This record gives sequence, C-alpha cells and structure tokens, in this order.
Amino acid sequence: MGTLIAIRLRNAAALLVLATLLCFTLVVSAPGNVAVLIAELRTPKATFEQVRAVETELGLNDPLVVRYGNWLGGALQGDLGVSYKTGDHIGPTLGSRLPVTFTLVAGGACFAMLLSFALGFVGALWPGRFGDAFTRITALLGASMPSFFVGALLIYFFAVKLRLFPTFGSAGFSSWILPWITIGLLPAAVLSRVVRVGLEEAMAMPFALTAAAKGLSRRASLFRHALPNIAPTYINALGAQSGLMVVGAVVVEPLFALKGVSDFFLQGVLFRDFMVVQACLLIFLTFFIIVNLIADIGIMFTDPKLRRQGGAGT
Amino acid sequence: MTAPLLQARNLSVDLFTVRSALRPVDDVSYSVGQGETLAIVGESGSGKTVLNFAPIGLMPTGVVTDLHGSLRFEDIELVGLPAARMRRIRGGRIGTIFQDPMSALNPALRIGRQIAEVAELHLGMTSVQAEARALDLLKLVRMSDPESRLRQYPHELSGGLRQRAMIAIAVAAEPKLLIADEPTTALDVTVQAQIIALLKDLQKRLDTAIVLITHDMGVVASIASKVAVMYAGRIVEYGSVDQVLLEPRHPYSTGLIAALPRPEDKAGTLFRGLPGAPPIMGAPQPGCPFAPRCPLVVDYCTDVRPPLAPAPTGSAAACHVVNDVPHREMAHA
Repeated sequence: MGTLIAIRLRNAAALLVLATLLCFTLVVSAPGNVAVLIAELRTPKATFEQVRAVETELGLNDPLVVRYGNWLGGALQGDLGVSYKTGDHIGPTLGSRLPVTFTLVAGGACFAMLLSFALGFVGALWPGRFGDAFTRITALLGASMPSFFVGALLIYFFAVKLRLFPTFGSAGFSSWILPWITIGLLPAAVLSRVVRVGLEEAMAMPFALTAAAKGLSRRASLFRHALPNIAPTYINALGAQSGLMVVGAVVVEPLFALKGVSDFFLQGVLFRDFMVVQACLLIFLTFFIIVNLIADIGIMFTDPKLRRQGGAGT
Repeated sequence: MTAPLLQARNLSVDLFTVRSALRPVDDVSYSVGQGETLAIVGESGSGKTVLNFAPIGLMPTGVVTDLHGSLRFEDIELVGLPAARMRRIRGGRIGTIFQDPMSALNPALRIGRQIAEVAELHLGMTSVQAEARALDLLKLVRMSDPESRLRQYPHELSGGLRQRAMIAIAVAAEPKLLIADEPTTALDVTVQAQIIALLKDLQKRLDTAIVLITHDMGVVASIASKVAVMYAGRIVEYGSVDQVLLEPRHPYSTGLIAALPRPEDKAGTLFRGLPGAPPIMGAPQPGCPFAPRCPLVVDYCTDVRPPLAPAPTGSAAACHVVNDVPHREMAHA
C-alpha cells in the first residue's frame, strides 16, 4: 500500500510538471505581442523603442527555455508574475481569491454528496416505485440543465420571490447556499446515478442473497453489505466531478458576484491578460491533480483488494 | 414419535419472471427429522434449489414466487409466513450454505464482521461479544490461525477456507436446520472430503438437521440418511440412503446410479449416460415427465401422473411400472 501511494505521488508530480509546460506553451503561443499591449497601456501611441524596452523588461526576448525556467522558479516561490492589465502581482491576488473558490467547490461537493446519497438510496430502497421515478427525473433534470440557468432560477425563486437568501455576494453562510446548490446540482445528479446503479448491482450479487439468508432486512443489506462495495466507484466519480466543479465555478462565480479564482480567470481571458490566465490554469490543474490523488488514495483505502497490495500485513 | 423438524406436504412452487411463468417444483412431499440428513439429488434444473430456497424467501431479486401446499418447520407454517417473521427464522433457526463461497461472501467486509453480524442479529450480542463468538466459530470450523482470519477479507482465503467461513456464518446462531446447496461443488476434491467431514462433525455437535442439495452420489453416500431423487420438479424416488443407492426402484434413479463410473471400468470406456435430455421447464405435464427417456415406458405413462407410492419394502417410487399398477385401473383414473 505504501508503495502504491508512492507511485501515485510520483505520477502526480510528473503530471504537475506536464501541466506547467502546457500552461506555458499555451500562453507563449497565444497570438499578439504582449509588449505592444503593455506599452500602449502605459503611453498611448507608444514608440517602437518603448515597446522594445517593455520586451526587455519582461524578458520576452530570452530563449523559451529560460523564460519557462524563470516563470517556474517564480511560481515555486509563489511569484506568479505580474498582471499585464493592472501591473499588480498575481500571487497575492490569487491568495485572496483562492479561499472563495475553495469554499464554493468544497461546499458544492458536500451538497452533491448529501443529495446524491439521498436520491440514490430513495431509489434503491423502493425500486420501481414513485420515489425511484422521482429521483430519476431529478437526476435527468439536474444533469441536463446548464448551471447558469439553474442559478438564475434559484436566484429568482429563493432570493427575489421568497427573499430567503441574498442574490449575490459573499456575506456569511446564507449567501453561500444558492451558489453551492447551483454548482453541486450537476455532480449530484451524476453521482446519484452512481449510487443508485451501484447499489442495484451490489444487491443482485450472490452476497446479497447471503445477507438475506442471515435474516437481514433489505434496508440493512443495502447499508451494511451493498454500500461498502460501491465506495471505490463512488470516490472515483466524486474525484472526477470535483475537478469538473472548478470549470463550473467559471459560470457560478460571476453569476453570484463571487471574487474567486474562476472569476479572475474569466477576467484574464476577456482582457487577454495571459499572465493571469496562465496562473489560474496552473491553479486549476494543480487542484485537479490533487483531487484525483486524494481520490486514488481513498479508493485504495476502501477497496480491500488494493489495500493489502505492496505492503503485506499493513 | 415426535413430529419431524421439517415437513413438506404437496409443496408446489410457481416462478414468475418478466417473460415467463414456470413450475419448477411440482407437488413435492418429504420430511426431515431432528439431526437427520436428507440429500436431494437431481440434475441441474430439476428444481432442487428452488424447492429449498423459494419457501424461505431466498430468491434472486426480480423473481416472484407463488407457493402452494404446506411446509412446516418446528410447528411454523412457512408457506405464507410474513416476511418479518421469516427473517427471524432465516439465519437464526435455519442456516444456509451456498455453492460458491467466493461470491457468497461480501468482498468488502472482513470475515469476522460477516460472522459476527449473525450473532448480533439473532443472539442479541454486542459487537464485542459477537466478535468473540466469531472467533469461537472459526475454531469450531477448524480454521487454522483463527485470530488473523477474523481480520482477513474473502479474497485472501482459499476456496476451502472460504467455505469454512461460510459454514461458520450458517451455524453462528446454532440453527436447527442447515440447508446446504451443493456445498462442495466449487471446491477441489481433497477439500470436498474435509468439508463433508466438517459438516458431519458439526451436525453431531449441534444436533442439526441438514438438507443437502447435491448431484454428487459420493457425497450422498458419505453423509445422507435419506435421499430424495428429483426429476423435472418432482420427487421420483424417496427413501433411506441404502434403499435408494443400493436398490433403486425408479428407472431414473436406476439409470443415474448405473451411470456412475466404476473401478472395474476399463480406461477409455464411454460414460453410460441416460438417453435423451431432461424436459425444458414449463407448464405442468399431465403424465410422467421421465416417460420420453424411460426404458420401461408403457402407453399410459404420458397421460397419467404416477403417484409417489410407498412400497412394502424399499423406497417410494413414482412409477406406474415398478409399482405394478394394473393397466385397467389406470385407464379409469
């Protein structure tokens, strides 16, 4: 098991290096000369000399390998460069925006887990009945409605009509509820199917018949015998969905005026602020890799066949 | 003489799946006394598993069963018993051993937990007491190194050890009746003998009755006291193990026992099989289901169903010819 975790860690590190290369390549190959943009931002109608000065200042004329090295070295020390648009350092801005996105995604993941288990179990406990059909339809709706639409509906109904929650902003717990639901609904819909189908498959296995032969009720069999068997599959799907939620945040953050990383990323894209785009992409990819690493380790802990590998007797 | 532990009278089982309705068990009667072993033999699809598992509610999901007749266990009528009362009997008064211990054990739970669960449910034990009981049970089924087995998972055990764990689960609440569905079929030959010896030993210690479903005549000879031979959902012969194995009366049992390979057979001898194929399960048939394959068949066999008639000597057989029923009498029936 220790060996397996070490292998995953090594793979994750390799992936991270690849991710930095990808970010860097993307930005370098973007069209347009950044130096022109910056020089014109400083002095309208900048001369050729002024542009050259900016190029030298930013190190744009260095070989690509040197530029990559400089950027990576800075990134490792928390210096992600300077925004072309504002001239501010990106590191501190990201630092203040990260907790917002983290709260959004973590809360959304919790909501998705709660809802998916509730929906999945209702369907599995009473298969073929009204509850089962209801959860199926909920899952279908949740999976097919785009989050900007869901968010707008939620704002209209709960914030504008019922005045239960604020429409936007980040002022305390209540302002987080609608964003969490908006970002968590799609993963909840997908995960509820994972729970429902997983439980159904487990209950069709011979060991479910053994559980019945022991005198366990269907409900007890579901919780004690079927649930441990779907854990690895569920954690795998949860990891993938959590990664995708960062993408969802690009829509949800502007919708609720949350000043998170995804909002920052969107601004960067709109203003061709490639340093910001690059930094945000790096954050997203790092998050994605870490979440998948955690999910892999979680799968190892819940699948007995993997738990004992590589370290007998642990 | 006291009433038998388990008594079936005219028990029939109808199965309804999405596409079809069949009767895999048709008008079957038998009884098992306390501490006795009844072997139910028959080929695949003869209804022996359905006969035992449908009445106690152990059918795969999606299969609807309809029971007729009577099956009494310790003065409780199992046919029509509410599900909640049936659950108290299953695992508590009736233990079950399945054919394939790999798939019958939960791959995600430790062996100890799977055994302790039964003690918690039926003996009202706390989890600590139940874990201690699980350890005792692993010793009872003669597992080597029982302390570490408790914490292992099914995939870490060999086939024989898994079946021992399965047996420990089945006897955890000291049931009066064990239903064993081909308990040795999925195992190596050497392990089969060990498991049969273990079952006999447990039966003696716990005074448990066993209903053993099998198609292995060697197993029947080594453990059973009574034998019921099933063919196409019916019991065609029923008697003591000596009667049925040594002096079979029904042509099907005769053919089955004659088909066993013998030591004096020369190498390369062809298997002596029964001609023809067993009927495809479907609607109940009017006559004897074995008639199309029977060497003794007479004209009314296909029209009149032979009753399982007890003979003055020997086993009861459901056959017009061997019971020597006069032809004229049958014609009026």
